[in-house]
Amino acid sequence: MSDAYLALEDGRVVEARGRVPGRTRGELVFTTAYTGYEESLTDPSYEEQVLTFSYPLIGNYGVRAERFESERVHPRAAVAKEFTDDVVEWLTEEDVPAIDHLDTRDLVTSIREEGAMKCGIAVGDDVTPEDAKAELAECKGMSEHTDIGAQVSVDEVQVYEGGSEARVALVDCGAKGSIISSLTARGAEVHVLPYDATPADVSEIDPDVLFISNGPGDPANFDAATTLVDEFVGDLPIAGICLGQQVVARALGGTTEKMAFGHRGVNQPVRDLRTDRVVMTTQNHGYTVGEPGDLEVTQVNVNDDTAEGLENPDLDVITRQYHPEANPGPHDSLDFFDDVLDMTRSDAEHAVASD
Amino acid sequence: MTDDEERTILLIGSGPIQIGQAAEFDYSGAQACRALQEEGARVVLVNSNPATIMTDPEMADRVYIEPITTEAIAEIIRKENPDGVIAGLGGQTGLNVTAALAEEGVLDEHDVDVMGTPLDTIYATEDRDLFRERMESIGQPVPASTTISLDEGEAVTDLTQEGLRDRVDAAVDEVGGLPVIARTTYTLGGSGSGVVHEMDELVERVRKGLRLSRNNEVLVTESISGWVELEYEVMRDADDSCIIICNMENLDPMGIHTGESVVVTPSQVIPDEGHQEMRDAALEVIRELGIQGGCNIQFAWRDDGTPGGEYRVVEVNPRVSRSSALASKATGYPIARVTAKVALGKRLHEIENEITGETTAAFEPAIDYVVTKVPRWPKDKFDDVDFELGTAMKSTGEAMAIGRTFEESLLKALRSSEYDPAVDWADVGDAELEADYLETPTPDRPYAMFEAFDRGYTVDEVADLTDIERWYVERYGRVAEATQAAAEGDFTEAAIKGRTNAEIATAAGTTVSNVETDVPGRTYKQVDTCAGEFAAETPYYYSARKPEFLRGPLVGDAAAGELEVDRDVESVVVVGGGPIRIGQGVEFDYCSVHAIRALREAGIDAHVVNNNPETVSTDYDTSDGLFFEPITAEEVADVIEAADADGVMVQFGGQTSVNIGHPLEEELDRRGLDCEIMGTSIDAMDLAEDRDRFNRLMDELGIAQPIGGSATSEAEALELASDVGYPVLVRPSYVLGGRAMDVVHDDEELKEYIEEAVRVSPDKPILIDEFLADAVELDVDAVSDGDHVLVGGVMEHVESAGVHSGDSACMIPPRSLDAEMLGRVREVTEDIAQALDTVGLLNIQLAVKDDEVYVIEANPRSSRTVPFVSKATGVPIAKLAAKVMAGATLDELDVDEQIPEQVSVKEVVLPFDRLPGSDPRLGPEMKSTGEVMGTADTFGKAYEKAQSATSKPIPTSGTAVLDLTADEFPDPDSEAAADLVDGYAEFFDVREFDDLHEAIRHGEVDLVVSRDRDALEVAVEEDVTYFSTYASARAALEGVRAHDEPIDVQAISDRPKLRTDWGR
Repeated sequence: MSDAYLALEDGRVVEARGRVPGRTRGELVFTTAYTGYEESLTDPSYEEQVLTFSYPLIGNYGVRAERFESERVHPRAAVAKEFTDDVVEWLTEEDVPAIDHLDTRDLVTSIREEGAMKCGIAVGDDVTPEDAKAELAECKGMSEHTDIGAQVSVDEVQVYEGGSEARVALVDCGAKGSIISSLTARGAEVHVLPYDATPADVSEIDPDVLFISNGPGDPANFDAATTLVDEFVGDLPIAGICLGQQVVARALGGTTEKMAFGHRGVNQPVRDLRTDRVVMTTQNHGYTVGEPGDLEVTQVNVNDDTAEGLENPDLDVITRQYHPEANPGPHDSLDFFDDVLDMTRSDAEHAVASD
Repeated sequence: MTDDEERTILLIGSGPIQIGQAAEFDYSGAQACRALQEEGARVVLVNSNPATIMTDPEMADRVYIEPITTEAIAEIIRKENPDGVIAGLGGQTGLNVTAALAEEGVLDEHDVDVMGTPLDTIYATEDRDLFRERMESIGQPVPASTTISLDEGEAVTDLTQEGLRDRVDAAVDEVGGLPVIARTTYTLGGSGSGVVHEMDELVERVRKGLRLSRNNEVLVTESISGWVELEYEVMRDADDSCIIICNMENLDPMGIHTGESVVVTPSQVIPDEGHQEMRDAALEVIRELGIQGGCNIQFAWRDDGTPGGEYRVVEVNPRVSRSSALASKATGYPIARVTAKVALGKRLHEIENEITGETTAAFEPAIDYVVTKVPRWPKDKFDDVDFELGTAMKSTGEAMAIGRTFEESLLKALRSSEYDPAVDWADVGDAELEADYLETPTPDRPYAMFEAFDRGYTVDEVADLTDIERWYVERYGRVAEATQAAAEGDFTEAAIKGRTNAEIATAAGTTVSNVETDVPGRTYKQVDTCAGEFAAETPYYYSARKPEFLRGPLVGDAAAGELEVDRDVESVVVVGGGPIRIGQGVEFDYCSVHAIRALREAGIDAHVVNNNPETVSTDYDTSDGLFFEPITAEEVADVIEAADADGVMVQFGGQTSVNIGHPLEEELDRRGLDCEIMGTSIDAMDLAEDRDRFNRLMDELGIAQPIGGSATSEAEALELASDVGYPVLVRPSYVLGGRAMDVVHDDEELKEYIEEAVRVSPDKPILIDEFLADAVELDVDAVSDGDHVLVGGVMEHVESAGVHSGDSACMIPPRSLDAEMLGRVREVTEDIAQALDTVGLLNIQLAVKDDEVYVIEANPRSSRTVPFVSKATGVPIAKLAAKVMAGATLDELDVDEQIPEQVSVKEVVLPFDRLPGSDPRLGPEMKSTGEVMGTADTFGKAYEKAQSATSKPIPTSGTAVLDLTADEFPDPDSEAAADLVDGYAEFFDVREFDDLHEAIRHGEVDLVVSRDRDALEVAVEEDVTYFSTYASARAALEGVRAHDEPIDVQAISDRPKLRTDWGR
C-alpha cells in the first residue's frame, strides 16, 4: 500500500511515495532542466499545472529564497523520481503536494506520446486510488482557466527603480522576477501593472516601452493585455516574452495554438534566421504562435521550426517565445533586453533627428 | 563546400594504450573516420597501435600502422598528399606530432592545412603564463598568483625576519589569504612545493625556497584544493554557434586528477546560477581561443554563500579527450563525429542528431539519469607503488554506469570496474581506516567509506575526513545502510540502491530465487540525448530497477521496457571486456567489435553488453543493441531475457567475459532461458584451465609439456619442485595477465613466494612447471570450426621464457623455426583444436627447445595477439571466429591463410615512468599497458621502428653502459657477452661509471643494458632508453645495425603477403 496516487487522463493510476500530503489536480507537464528547480517551482507560468522533473534527483543543492522567481510555488504539485528533504520541507511550508519514487521517465514518455494530460493527485496516510481519480474528474483544461491571470498577477502597480534609461510598463501576466531584474540591471525603471490594466492605466505611467510578460495558460484568456497592444502599437515600442509574444501576435492579427506537450527545459535550440547562429534557450510554454500576423518570424526553434522570435521594425515590436531572462537556464540571449531598451533610444534619436 | 570536391584528410591516432591515454582515441578516431567519409573526404589514417579498430583496413581509405614520428608521418604526407590534417582527435600524441610537423615546415612544404582548432590556440592552452594572460584579458578568474623574489644583489641572509614576513604577508594578501600553494620555481624535480596553511610555516618555506631557487623566486598561488572540480565539454562551429554538451562533476575534490577521480554527470551540487556562470565562461573562453570542434574546460567551484558560488578557470584542453569520450557516452552526443564535421566546415545545425533522427547537433543534451565513472588502477600488479591519488594519473582505464539514482549508478560503476580492494577490513583499526583509507585518497576509498558507515561513522565525520561533498557522502551512507538491511532480510532498499540479487543473496545468506521474487525487477531505458522529449531511434540502453511498489522480475514487454530491438529475429549478445587494465587492453574491444560486425554481416542482430566508455564497442552505432551494464551473470542474463536473444558469446571480452561463462550458463539454466552459449563449450574452456585435466589430454594426444603439476600445500609444492628440478616456474592456477607468476631458483625462494604472493590452499592450488631456459617461445592464434583449423599466425617471442608473453616483444612470421618445426606447430595446434572441440578462436603458447614443441598453455578464446596477427597477415580472425560460432564453416567462408613477406614486430609499452617505485625489469608478471607494431623487410628495422613507436627510440650513438652481472645475461667472461659488448662498441662509447646513477642523472648515458633495479629506476626517471634482458639487448643491437635501412612506410593493404598455409 502506498500513500500517494497519481491518476492520469489516460486511465492509469500510478503508485508513488508521498512526500507532501494533500489532494490536487492540474495539467501534467514535464521540464527537462536538471538544474534550476527553485526557479522552475516559483515560475508563475506553471500555475494550474503539475510539474514533473525529467531529471530524477531534485533538491541536491538545497533551497535558497534568493533564487526564487516569485513569492510562492506555482505548480499545483511536484513530481520527481527523488526529492531531497530540503525541497520537501519547502513544499510542505508552501502546502504543495509532492510525490516521488515513481518511474518519471515513463510519465515523460507518456506525455510525449499522448500530449500534456490532466491528472489528479492524492497524498496522505489513508488515500486511495479513487481519491486521485476524484481529483482528476474535477480537473479543467488549461484553456478553461479563463481568469488565470488574476491568480498570478500583482493587484496594483509596483515600481522597481533601476535608473532613468527608460520607463517600462510591464504587464504582469505572471512575470518572472528575472524579467524585472534584467530590465532594472540595464538602468530601466519598471512599472509592473496588473494583467487587466487598461490603456488609461498605461498612459498614466507614460512608459517608453510596453512589455507583456510571460504567464500561464492560453493567451486567448488575456484579452486586456491584447487590447493594450492593439491600443499602443505604433505609438510605443512593444516587447513580449513567452505568453507575451503570443498576446502581441494575436493583437497584430496572428494566431496561437496549443501544442501537444509544449517546450519546457533549458536546452531549446533557437536559430536566428539572419545570422544563422544557434543559441540555447530556456522555455516553458504549452501554446505557440501559428500565423504571425503583422510580424516577421526572425528566429525559429531548430527542432520543430516553431516561431521563437517575432519582429516588426516599422512598428518597433520585438518578442521572444523563449525566456531570455534565463533563471533557470543559459544566458545566451540576455541581450534581448538591450534590444528592447534600444528601441526606446532609437525613438529618441529619431525624434531629435526630425526636429 | 564540403561535398563538391574530394578532399584528402590525414587523421593521426594516439598510439599505444598507456596511462593517461587509453582507448578513447580509438573510439574518437574511428568515429571521425566514418564522419569524414560521410562527407565525401578521402581519409588517410596513421596509428602505431595495431590493437585498435581505427587501424582496420576498412576504416579508412588508406591505413598506415607506422610510428607516430615526424619522420614516418612526413613520408606518409609525401605519399598521400593530404589537403588537411586533423590534429585534435589523436590525443596529446596527435597534437604534439602535428605541432612538430608544422615547426619542421613539413605541413607548409606540402600545403597541408591544420583543420579545426589552430595550432596557436593549442600553444595558448599549453603555456601556463600565456593561458593566464588570455584568461585575464577576457576577465575570467584564474587562481590568483604572485611571486616573492629577491632584489638585484640581495641575498636571503640579508633579510630580517620582519622584512621577509612583510613580503610574505603582502603576497598572501594578494592571492586572497591562506592557505596558499608555495612553489619554488626552477628547482629540480619540483621539490618544495605544496599547500601551506600556517603563516610561520609559509615564511620558513619561502626562506628555504628563495635560497634553493635558481632565479631567487618563490611562486605563491591561491590554493583551490578542496574546491569542487568540474569539467565542461564544449562544441563550437565556424559560425560561432557554441554549445555545452554536458558538465561533469568530480566527486574527489581539486587536487586529484580528473582521470583518477570518480566523476558524475551531470553535476549534482552546483546551483543553476553557478552552472550558468561557468557555462558562460566556457563559451567565452572557447570563443576567445577560437576553438573549432570539441574541447574541455576545467573549473574549480565552491559555495561562498552567494546564490551561484564562485569559480576559477583551471585549464583548457583544446581537443577531443578522455573526458569527451565519457561525455559522448554519458549523453549520446557524438563529440568526435561532430568535431570532424565541424573541421570540414559544417555548422552544428547542419549536422543530424543520429540518436533522435529528428533533431540536429545544435542542441544541448538533456539527460534524465545519473552517470558515474570509476577509474581502474593496476594496484594488483605493482606491490611497490604507492597508489595515493594525486595530480598525476596512475589508472589504466575506467568503467562507466548509468542509473536512475546516484546510488544505483555508483554501485553499477564499482561493479563494472571489477576491482576488489585487497584489504581485510577486520584487520584495519579505526585510526588506520581514517588515516590511510578515508583521509588518503586511494583506489580503496569508496569501499572504505562503506566500511566506515558499517562501523557507525556519521555522514559529517566521513565528509570531513574525505573532503567529499556531503551530498555524495550521504548517499554512500544510504548504500551501506541498505546493504546492512539486506543482510537482515529486508532486500528492497538494497536492490533499489543498485545491488544485484546475487549480492543481496550473498549478504543475506539466501538464494537468488528468494531475493528475486521479493525485490523490484529491472527494466531498460533508452539513452536519448533529450530526457524523453523526443522519440529516439538509437538502440542505446541502460537498466534500472522499478520503484519499490513492484515486486519480482519483469517479464516480456515489461522487462524490455523501452527496448526497440526486434525480438523476433535471430539475435546474439556479445559480452565485452570491461575497463582497460594490464592484461586486458583494447585488443579485447577490437575482438568484441569484430564479433559484432561478423554477426551483423551474417544477418544476425548483435547486441553488446559492456561498460567501458572509451571504446568503439560502446559506440551507439556499432551494434543493434548497446547495453551499458556491469558484466555479471545476472545482468547479462537480464539483457538476454529482455532482448530475447538466441545466443551469447563470451569468447571475445578477455578474462572478463570468460569469467562469467560458468555462472552465466547456470543462470540461464536456472531461468530456463533458451539461449545458447556459442562456440567452444564452457566445459572445454574449463578443461584448458584445469591443469590436471589438460595434462591428461596432452598425454593422450602425445603432445609434450614442461614437466610439472599442481600443489595444494607448501610441502607438496617443495616436493614437486625438487622432482621437476630448479629453476621452476610457479603461478596460481587461474591467471589474468600472469598475475603473481614467478621463476624461483631454490626452496627458500619458493617458500617466500608461497608466503607472500599466493597463499596456497586446496581450493587455490599453485602450478609448478619446469622452466624451459633458452627455449624459443611461440604464440599461435587460430580459428576452428570444429572440423577445420585456420592458422591466423605464428609469432615468435623476442624475450625468453622468463618474461611474461604479454610483455615480450614478438615477431611475425617467426625466424627461428625451420619448415619441419613449423609443421609440428601446426599439427599441435590442430590436435588441440580438435581435442577441445574448439569452435571459434584458439590461442596456444608453445616453447620449442631441442627440436621438441612443448605446450605451455592453450586457451580456446580470443587472445591479446588477435589484432596484431590480423593486421600483420591481413586475415581478420576474430570476425571469422564469430562467423563459425554462428554456424558457418571455414569452407563456406572461403578464406585463405596468409604469411606476410615482411617482418612485423609487436613491442609493448610499459608504465614505469607513471608509477614511481615500480620495478622496471621485465619478468614473469605482466606490466605493459599497450602495444605498437613496426613492419619492415628485416627484423632489425622492424624492431627499431617498433621501439621508436613506443617513444623510447633506440639511440644509435653516444654512451652505453652494459652491466651483464645478472643471471639473465651471459657470463660477463663468456664469448656471448663479449660479442654483445663488441657489437655495442661499434656504435657507442661503452663505458663504466663509478656512480652510474649520477652519470644517468647528468645525462652522460644514452643507453643502459642492465638488470640492476635501482639503476633502471633512475633510467626510467631520466627517460634514458634501457634493456633489461639479454634478448632485448641483442634485438636492440640488430635495430641499431638496421638504422640506415629505409623506413619503409607503407599502407597495410600494400604490404606483400603470400597466400600460403602456415606449416604446410
